[in-house]
Amino acid sequence: MRKTVFAAIIALLAVTCLAFAGGTPEPKAAAGGKVTLSMYAYNERTNPVEAPNWDYALGIFRATNPDVDLQIEFGFTEPYHDKMKIMVAANQIPDLMFLWPDKRTGYLTEKGLAKDLTPYVKGHEKEFVPGALAPQIAGGLWEIPEQVTDCHVVYTNTKLLKQLGLTYPKTFEEMVKQAPAILAKGLIPVAMDDKDGWQMQSCLLGALIERTGGKAWFDKAIKGKEGKFTDPEFVNALSVIETMAKNKMLSPGIVQADYGVAVTDFANEKAVYMIDGGWRVNALVGVVKPEQKKDIELNTFPDLAGMKGTPGSTSSVVGTGYGMSASLTGAKAEAAWKWIWFYAGPVDSAIRQGFGANPAYILPKRTDLDPLILKLIDFVNKTPGGYVVDSVLDADGMKVIQPAMQELILGSKTAQQVAAEFEKWVAANDSGRK
Amino acid sequence: MTEKNLKRVSYAVLTGPALLIYAFIIVFPILYSLYLGFSDWNGYGPIVPTGFQNYLKMFQDPVFLHGLRNNMLVVAVSVFGQIPLGFVLAYILYRKLVKGAKFFETMIFLPITISSVVVAILWSNIFGPAGAVTAILRLIRHDPRMVFTVFENRTWAIFPILFVILLIYTGLYMVIFLANLQKISPSVIEAAVIDGASEGQVLGRVILPAMLGVLFTTIVFAISGSLKSFDLIYAMTGGGPAHYTEVIAIYMYVKTFSGSHFGFGSAVSVFIVVLSLGMIGVVQAVFGRLEARYEG
Repeated sequence: MRKTVFAAIIALLAVTCLAFAGGTPEPKAAAGGKVTLSMYAYNERTNPVEAPNWDYALGIFRATNPDVDLQIEFGFTEPYHDKMKIMVAANQIPDLMFLWPDKRTGYLTEKGLAKDLTPYVKGHEKEFVPGALAPQIAGGLWEIPEQVTDCHVVYTNTKLLKQLGLTYPKTFEEMVKQAPAILAKGLIPVAMDDKDGWQMQSCLLGALIERTGGKAWFDKAIKGKEGKFTDPEFVNALSVIETMAKNKMLSPGIVQADYGVAVTDFANEKAVYMIDGGWRVNALVGVVKPEQKKDIELNTFPDLAGMKGTPGSTSSVVGTGYGMSASLTGAKAEAAWKWIWFYAGPVDSAIRQGFGANPAYILPKRTDLDPLILKLIDFVNKTPGGYVVDSVLDADGMKVIQPAMQELILGSKTAQQVAAEFEKWVAANDSGRK
Repeated sequence: MTEKNLKRVSYAVLTGPALLIYAFIIVFPILYSLYLGFSDWNGYGPIVPTGFQNYLKMFQDPVFLHGLRNNMLVVAVSVFGQIPLGFVLAYILYRKLVKGAKFFETMIFLPITISSVVVAILWSNIFGPAGAVTAILRLIRHDPRMVFTVFENRTWAIFPILFVILLIYTGLYMVIFLANLQKISPSVIEAAVIDGASEGQVLGRVILPAMLGVLFTTIVFAISGSLKSFDLIYAMTGGGPAHYTEVIAIYMYVKTFSGSHFGFGSAVSVFIVVLSLGMIGVVQAVFGRLEARYEG
């Protein structure tokens, strides 16, 4: 009897296992030579400007590459990375994915899960701006950069400044002194949104560190040799944010504001300044009225007292772009490269330039572009760049510094406390200290 | 094959698939989480045992402790807010103490039919600095910088979320109670009324004892649901600002998937299971006594 029961259970197990073993068939070359690729794309699908721009480029790719079928899933900001990390843990890497050249997607690239694209791009090196194809984290070329990204721009409404009888401040002290006059008119001095936390870190903190300490100090602090995040260089950078919050210079409810609130306030002329990345030009081109564009200037943060770093600097990274899974070979790898080259090469670079990007691929100089795009190109070309914090420190550390900076803004922590908390985490955990 | 053996084979064949599925999707993940909770596995590479380090670290982390405090408030609102309110509403409708019972039934149940993420975004916009209510208040008070500062206070930030939780899920409990109230024979209530029982006596001596089973079930739902509450809070605030509205499920998610600390995240998930079972055990003991009292 036992044998019968045992046999029945074994049979049942076998049937169940066979049923589950089928799984989802792997996408592969279909009939007619069409190659299907899974892609995890980075795009804000609710953005009324950026989503249609992306779709427009995708439409052109599909029309010109009918042999490649892209099965696309979208992500944006932190949820993009959260899901990608799950994919990495589950060993289910998409064929094509959006990558960063630095530690931001180090959880994937440092593990060798992306293909080194150096052999693919060979012969095209001179077609990109200098440094764009430099080795990325862990030495490979995991993605072909779409653009050189300046993460810090002080967008300035010169019309409002003129109405207030003000000019762009040369020093931070001057900027602080402007705040009461701006507030008295019911305007926001500096529009920013920081609900997600990354905006303050990515769009302001890096630029401030570049002023207070410069790259030389930052390199020392990353390694923990002759520099720590409790040094005055870092504390002073945080103090600037603390001063801005204390003087009501930042958007009201900044730590509750979703990404997009600040650009809306700025476009509606409710804010004199807005701090965001260079990529925000893309949205501004679509949302501000044509007559407003001449009144928008792109500046960097004013000078700080006693700064040791580069005056007039921003924080920048060699841009993000698409890469492919290390497991791809043959027809799938060729098809994946078609997309990567379409996106970072001459075709989509020209399309994106028309929409407000400043591509890393060198394009013939154009004067017929939107005035804001021309201003961005000029800004990128003339502004020296320091580090973006999350590109040189571990992503885990951002989960420490970002909420701590929110508390700094809310006044529940001082700059010294935030610095001490961050240094403690970096010393114990960051890969740069090991 | 004897009839007895045939029965055994039948039981094995009929219950086998369900047992296997249960083992695969419930038992195995819990046991595996228990195992991972004693390691520092980061989702890749070998699993290195670290003993109780994750548990010690968890209880030393002020973010976790604040999340646990927020979770206890969610449990409190569910057990002492949603359930009594749901019961009272169901009782009012059942006893027809208000006109238009069907209308109220639909209106109260409606929020639960909407995706919690949609509800979260809606309320986030209402409370948010760019929300309609904020804009109206700014107009009324002539203050362009006015915002709801309750979210910026570590102690009180969770309270607007508790309000939304109360508003959404009360309807579910109301429907459960109403369905069970309708099972009580009207003749029993009529007999009590004829015997001179007041409305309070009908409720306390006839209806509540008959509802003990379903009350227990709803409390179990409320506790387990509260401890794993994630979607609504995550979509509404993401646990922020500065972890003020974080609950342990969000803490677990962030540690596990944003930080790739699968070992640590597993330890937190094991804690959620243990806490959930512990609290349900306490409720079971309390209801056991209550049942004995009523039966006695």
